[in-house]
Amino acid sequence: MSTRDAAAAIPREPGPINQILNPIRGPLIVAAVMAAVGTMLTLAPLAGIAHIAKIVLDAPALGGAWSTEAQGEIWWTAIVSVVSMLVGMALVSAGELTAHQADNRLTRRLRLAATQRLAQVPLGWFTNRASGEVKQAMQDDIATLHSLTAHFYTAVGRAVGAILISVIYLFILDWRMAVVALLPFPGFFLFLRHAMSSSGTNMQEFVARLGRINSATVEFVSGIPVVKAFGASGQAHSGYQEAVDAFAKAFVGFTRPLVATMAHAHAMIAPVTVLGVVLSFGALFTSLGWIAPVDVLPFALVAPGICAPLLLLHTLLHDLGGATGAAQRVLALLETPVLEPLLPDQQQTPAGHEVRFENVGYAYDGGHQALSDVSFTLEPDTVTAIVGSSGSGKSTLARLLLRFFDPSEGRITLGGVDLRHIDTSELYRRIGFVLQEVRLIHASVRDNIALGRPSASQQEIEDAARAAHIHGRILTLPRGYDSIVGEDAQLSGGERQRVSIARAVLLDPPVLVLDEATAAADASNEVAIQDALSRFAQGRTLMIIAHRLDTVMHADYTLVLEDGAIVEQGAHERLLELNGHYARLWELGGYETRKISEEPSC
Amino acid sequence: MLRTLVQLLGDDAPTFRRYAWMAVAYGVLCGLTITALIPVLTHLLGGEVKEAVPWLAVLLIGVAVCWSWRRYVEQAGVRVGVAILQGARHRLGDHVARLPVGWFTPQNTARLGHVVTQGMMAVAQLPAHVFTPVIAGVVTPAVLVAALFALHWPLGLIALTALPLLAGVLAFTARLSRQADDAFHQHFADASQRVVEFAQAQSVLRAFNGEGGGTRLLEQAIEQQHQSGTRLIWQSAGSAVLNAWAVQAVFAIMLMTAALWMNNYLGGQMVARDLIAIIVALLLVGRFIDSLLEVAGYGEVLRGARGQLDAIRELFAVQPQPEPDEPQTPRDGSIELRDVHFRYTAEEPDVLHGVSLRIAPGSMTALIGESGSGKTTLARLIARFFDVSAGSVLVGGVDVRQMSSAQLAGQISQIFQDNYLFSGSIADNIRLGKPDASDAQLRQAVRQAGVDEIIARLPQGLDTTVGEGGARLSGGERQRIAIARALIKNAPILLVDEATAALDAENQAVIAQALTRLRGQRTLVVIAHQLSTVAMADQIVVLEGGEIVEQGTPTQLRESQGRYAGFLNQRRAAKGWRITSAASDGARV
Repeated sequence: MSTRDAAAAIPREPGPINQILNPIRGPLIVAAVMAAVGTMLTLAPLAGIAHIAKIVLDAPALGGAWSTEAQGEIWWTAIVSVVSMLVGMALVSAGELTAHQADNRLTRRLRLAATQRLAQVPLGWFTNRASGEVKQAMQDDIATLHSLTAHFYTAVGRAVGAILISVIYLFILDWRMAVVALLPFPGFFLFLRHAMSSSGTNMQEFVARLGRINSATVEFVSGIPVVKAFGASGQAHSGYQEAVDAFAKAFVGFTRPLVATMAHAHAMIAPVTVLGVVLSFGALFTSLGWIAPVDVLPFALVAPGICAPLLLLHTLLHDLGGATGAAQRVLALLETPVLEPLLPDQQQTPAGHEVRFENVGYAYDGGHQALSDVSFTLEPDTVTAIVGSSGSGKSTLARLLLRFFDPSEGRITLGGVDLRHIDTSELYRRIGFVLQEVRLIHASVRDNIALGRPSASQQEIEDAARAAHIHGRILTLPRGYDSIVGEDAQLSGGERQRVSIARAVLLDPPVLVLDEATAAADASNEVAIQDALSRFAQGRTLMIIAHRLDTVMHADYTLVLEDGAIVEQGAHERLLELNGHYARLWELGGYETRKISEEPSC
Repeated sequence: MLRTLVQLLGDDAPTFRRYAWMAVAYGVLCGLTITALIPVLTHLLGGEVKEAVPWLAVLLIGVAVCWSWRRYVEQAGVRVGVAILQGARHRLGDHVARLPVGWFTPQNTARLGHVVTQGMMAVAQLPAHVFTPVIAGVVTPAVLVAALFALHWPLGLIALTALPLLAGVLAFTARLSRQADDAFHQHFADASQRVVEFAQAQSVLRAFNGEGGGTRLLEQAIEQQHQSGTRLIWQSAGSAVLNAWAVQAVFAIMLMTAALWMNNYLGGQMVARDLIAIIVALLLVGRFIDSLLEVAGYGEVLRGARGQLDAIRELFAVQPQPEPDEPQTPRDGSIELRDVHFRYTAEEPDVLHGVSLRIAPGSMTALIGESGSGKTTLARLIARFFDVSAGSVLVGGVDVRQMSSAQLAGQISQIFQDNYLFSGSIADNIRLGKPDASDAQLRQAVRQAGVDEIIARLPQGLDTTVGEGGARLSGGERQRIAIARALIKNAPILLVDEATAALDAENQAVIAQALTRLRGQRTLVVIAHQLSTVAMADQIVVLEGGEIVEQGTPTQLRESQGRYAGFLNQRRAAKGWRITSAASDGARV
C-alpha cells in the first residue's frame, strides 16, 4: 500500500515536465518504487534493535531457562535486520541505476530530436538567436533535466519511503506516542509557511536587483578592454560596484526575516528536539502507566530519523522550479515551427539559371523594412554587383536569394520557379555561396571541403582545392587533408576563405553568390582568393555583394542600394557619370586608381 | 576547497572562521545533548522514572540551547554569504580590472560573467545550505564516539575505527566521481561546441546538406556523449551509492557485535544494567549512523561546490599586470621596440622574435604583412595588451612597464576591432574618451567621425541611448561612435587597425580623413590595408613570420623591388575581377 502512495506522490509535477518525461515514465516509477521499498528495508535494523531490547528487558529475570530461546531470537533478529538492510541497499542501488540509465536514454533522444527539428526550421531563426541560446536549451537545460530524471524520482522515493514506513511503524506500536513524537513535524511546516509569506514582500526587490547585477556584470566584463584603453577605469567599475553593493543589501533584506524563521524551522525538527519530545512524553506516559518504558525505545530510535528525508523532500520540491523552466525551454525548442514541407505536387524543377527578383520586399520581425519593391534579373553568365552603404539592405538581398529567409512581399525565381517551390537540396545544388564570414567546422580539411558531397573522391576534392589555390597549403599541414581544422590545421583568415571556396567549387553550382568575400583577407591572400574566385566564376551567374567598389568596377552590371531600394543601376562608367550615390561612394572610398597607375609597374 | 574559499573571502576570512567554529560548537552541543539521553533512558528502562526526571531536564535544556544556538549559526552563515556576494565580488572585480587587456577573449569574458553571477550566488549559499549540516554531521558523531566508549568500549572502538575508514571511503569516492565528472564534462563540452557550431554554421551545413551531412557531426557527438554517459553511470552513481553502503556496513558490524555481546551476557551471568547499557548504546549507534548517512548524502552537492570554487580559483590565478612602484612620465609621442620577443603561452612558438623598431614622434608608420605575420600583436604590445616575453617596449622613452596604466592610456588612442559601447547615450559613449571635453570638442569629434549622419536619423540625436553593448545600433554605427571616442581623446599616439576592423566604405573614409588630418601632429601607427594609407606613411614596416623583413619610406621600398613592391603588384592585380579577361590576368600574377 505504502509503495503505491510513494509512486502516486510523484506525478504531481507541472505539465512541461510530464510531457518531457513521458517516454521514460515506466522505468522512472519502477526506480522510485525500488528506492522506496529499499529504504524501508534499510530501516529494519532500527526496529530490530527495539525488538532485541524488548526480548532482553521483558524476559523474566530468571537464570538460563529462557536464555537459549532468547539467544536464538536475538540472533535471528540481528541477522534478519542486517539481511533486509543489505537487500534494501541493493534495491536502492538498482533503483539509482535504472533511473540513470533511463535518463541517459532520454537525454540522447531529446538531443537527437532537437537536432532533427532544428535542421528543418527556417534559417532566419538561427540568425535571430545567439548560438548560446540553442546551446542553453540543447545542452544545459537537458542537463538540468538530468538531475530531475536521474535523481529526483529516486530521491523522492527514498524520502517518501522512509517517512511512510516510520509513521506507520510508530502508529502501529502506540498511537498516542506516535502523535506526540510526530508533533514537531507539522510545526516545521508552520514555520515554513511563515517564512514564505514574509519573504514574498521582499522577493520582487530581490529579483530586480538580481537582474541589475547581471547586466552590470556583463557591461563590466565586456567593457574592461575599452575602459582600460581610455584609462577611465571609474566608469564601468563604479557601475559594477554599485550593483554589487545594492544587490548585497537586497540580499540581506531578503534573507534577514527568513533566517530566524528558518532557524526555528530547522531546530524544530532537529534530531535532538525530537528526542527531547519523545523522552519527555515517554517519561510522562510511563509514569502514568500508559506504556512500558521499553516501548519508548522504538520512538527514540525511529522518530529523529524522519528529519533528514523531510528536509531532502523539501529541497527537492523546491528545485523542481528550475527544472520546469528548463523543460519549458526544451519543449519550446522541440516545437519550433519548421519550414512547410514541400508537397510533391508543388515541387518544380527550374529551367535554366536565370534569377529574377520580382517586387521583393522584406521586413524583419520588428517591422523594420529592410527591402522594398526590389526587382532585377541576374542574366545567366553575367556578373552583377550589389553596392551601397552599410544597412542599405545588400546582405538581406543575398540572404533572400539563399533562402535564409523568405521575402515578405514579391517573389524570387530561379529558372522561372519560385524559390519556395524548389526542394532545398535542389536549390543549393544550383546556388552556391561564399560569404564573408567563413564557417569551417571542427573536422578534417577533407570533410570540410566535401561537406556538401561526402561521397566525393579524393581526386575530386584535390581538384576543388587546386581550383581554390589551397591544395599546396593543405599539403604542408601536418597530416595533409586529414588535419583537423582548429587543431593541427591552423589556417589564416584568407586560407579559411579559400577552403570555403573549394567547398563551393566541389558542388559546382551554376549560380554563385559572393558576399564581401575578400574583406577579411590581406593583400597576398586577396590575390589568391580573387584568382580562385575569378576562375570559379567563369561560366556562372554571379552576384557579388561588395563593400569596396574597386573590386567590382568591372562587373557587367551594378545595382546601388539605399535604404532598401535600388536607386541606381548600370555599369561602372555610366554610374560615375550619373554623379549620384555611386559616384559619392566611389569618392568616399578614396580608391585613387589614377595614383596607383602612375606608380612604376614591374 | 577551503583554501579557495578563504582566498575568495580575503579580509572577510575571519567571518568564515567564526562561522565555522560556531557550526562546530553546534555539532558538539548536539552531541552532548544526545549524550544526556543516556542517563534518562538508563533510568527509564531501569524503571526509575523519578531519577530520570533531572536528567530529562538537562536534556531539555540542551535542546533549548541547541535551538537558540542554531539561530546564531545560521546568521553567521548568512554573514559569510553576504561577504561572498559583496566582498568577494568586489575583490574579483578589482582583480580582473588589473588583468591585461589581451586576457579578455570572448571565452574568458563569458566565463568571468558566469562566475561573477551564478558562480558566486551558488557559493554564497553553501554555508547555510551545505556546510552547517555537513559540519554538524561530522562533529556530532565524534562526540558520540566518546559516549559510546563510556557505555560499551567495543562499540566505541568500532565507531572510532570506522570514522577514519569512512573518511577514506569518502575521499576515494570523491576521487572516483571527480574522474567521472572530468571525463563527462569533456564530452559535454565537445558536444556543446558542436551545438554552437551547428547553430552558427547552420546556413553552410544546410546549403551543403546534399547527402544528409548537415546533422551528421552533431549526431555523432550526441552519440558519443550518450556512450560516455552510459560508461560513467556505473562510476558516478556507484560512488554515490558506495558511501551509503560503507556507512551501513559499519552499522551492520556494530549491530552484530552488540548481538554477540548480549548473547554472551545471556549465556552467562546477566546484569540488567549492562544490558540496558548496550541497548542505549545501540540507540546512540542509530544517531551516529544517521548523521554519517546525512553527510554521505551531501557528497554530490559538495562535488558541485568544488567545481564552482575551482572556476573562481582559476580566475584568481591569472596574473595581473604589475604596476610600477614609482611610475615614470613619458616624455613625448615616440615609440621604440627593443629586441622584442613575444609568445601568447609558454607552449606556443614566438609570435614576434627579435623585433626592434623606432618610431619618431609625429611620424606615420604603416605596418603591413600577411595575417599571422605579427603586425596586430606588435600594435597590441604598444598598448600593453600583453607584456613582452623578452626585450622592451618604450613609449615616450619610458618602458611601458614603468608607467601607470592611466599614464599609458593617456598617451595612446586606439581604433581597434573592439567597439563595445556602454549603455547610456551616444554622447556619454563618446565623452568616455575625454570626460572633460567641451561641447565644441564633442561636436567636432562627432563631425570628424561621421557620427552626425547617424544622429541626424535619430529623433533624440546625441542623447539617444544605445542599449546594452550598443545593441540598438548597427555594427557600422557602433564602429563610428568608437572612432569618435578615440578621436576626441586626442592622445599623442593613435593606433589604428584597418585590416581586422572590417571597415565599410564610409568608416574607411572617416579613418582616411582622420589620418590625413593628424599626420605630422600625432604619432600614427596603422596596420594598413588600404594602398592609399600605405602610400601616405613616412615609414613602412613589412613583417613576415614575426620579424621585420623590410623597412623604409614608400619610395625606398618601391625601388628596392622587395616585398613591398610585390605587395603593390599584387594589389594592382587584385584591383578587379570579372569572369572574362580580367580574371585570367589575375591568375598570371
